[in-house]
Amino acid sequence: MTPEPTPFDHRPDPVLGGALSRALAADDEAAFVARVMAALDKATVAHWDVLASWARAGIAAAVVAAIVGGLLLARPTETPASLDDVLAVAGEPTAPLLVAAPSPPDPSVVLISAEER
Amino acid sequence: MERYAAAVRRVTRAVLGDPDDADDAAQDAFLSAFVKLRQYDPHRPFGPWLMRIAANAATDRRRRRAVRRAESLDGLRAGGPQPDAEAQRRALGLRLREALAQLPERRRAAVVLFDVEGYSHADIGRILGIPEGTVRSEVFHARRALRVLLADWKEDAG
Repeated sequence: MTPEPTPFDHRPDPVLGGALSRALAADDEAAFVARVMAALDKATVAHWDVLASWARAGIAAAVVAAIVGGLLLARPTETPASLDDVLAVAGEPTAPLLVAAPSPPDPSVVLISAEER
Repeated sequence: MERYAAAVRRVTRAVLGDPDDADDAAQDAFLSAFVKLRQYDPHRPFGPWLMRIAANAATDRRRRRAVRRAESLDGLRAGGPQPDAEAQRRALGLRLREALAQLPERRRAAVVLFDVEGYSHADIGRILGIPEGTVRSEVFHARRALRVLLADWKEDAG
């Protein structure tokens, strides 16, 4: 231990370090380690609880999304009537048949009908 | 954890003084380190990384909680000369802790990290988040104060 230290000392002082180490030493290291491990276990369980609650909310949201998606997909879709469909109903005249058709006609039907006239 | 428990507890004791608060802070540090483990760069030494967390945990706890008063030394001082070496060591430890408690928090941590834990000035700078030159200054002032106490103690004992 040097009597007059300088800021340029770059090595630890073993005498001072030893005295400080003894002064700050804590007993019951095994008890402390056990305590931290128990806290760690508890924190880990709590962590999984949080994740589980998130998972529950996520599952509920996914179920709602699936139901909404299913309803949207299950809606009846209108398919355009083809020329064959229209002609199959009756031969002439085409225009009244097109108007009377249960679903909108395919544009090609309208064009062909107009060309015929 | 066993490898670093003693060092972390010494550092938190140096910062907080009170042993119960220090152990609470040490526990906070280990739990925090566990949570932040993914942020740890394995190419860098683990000790300074953990010590930084420990120093921060101790500082946070000091801010959050009014620190209970450290054990009083009056009884031992009034007891006169100590009958054996073990009692003298214990009394010296108490005086050192009291002297540490009178130093600024950063100075306490710096001298313990340097003289007890053996970290370099650069490492301590990273741990405490201060420039290396400031670490040198803090260690210097802390050593000077503590060495005076040690010298007085030797004279009293002799």
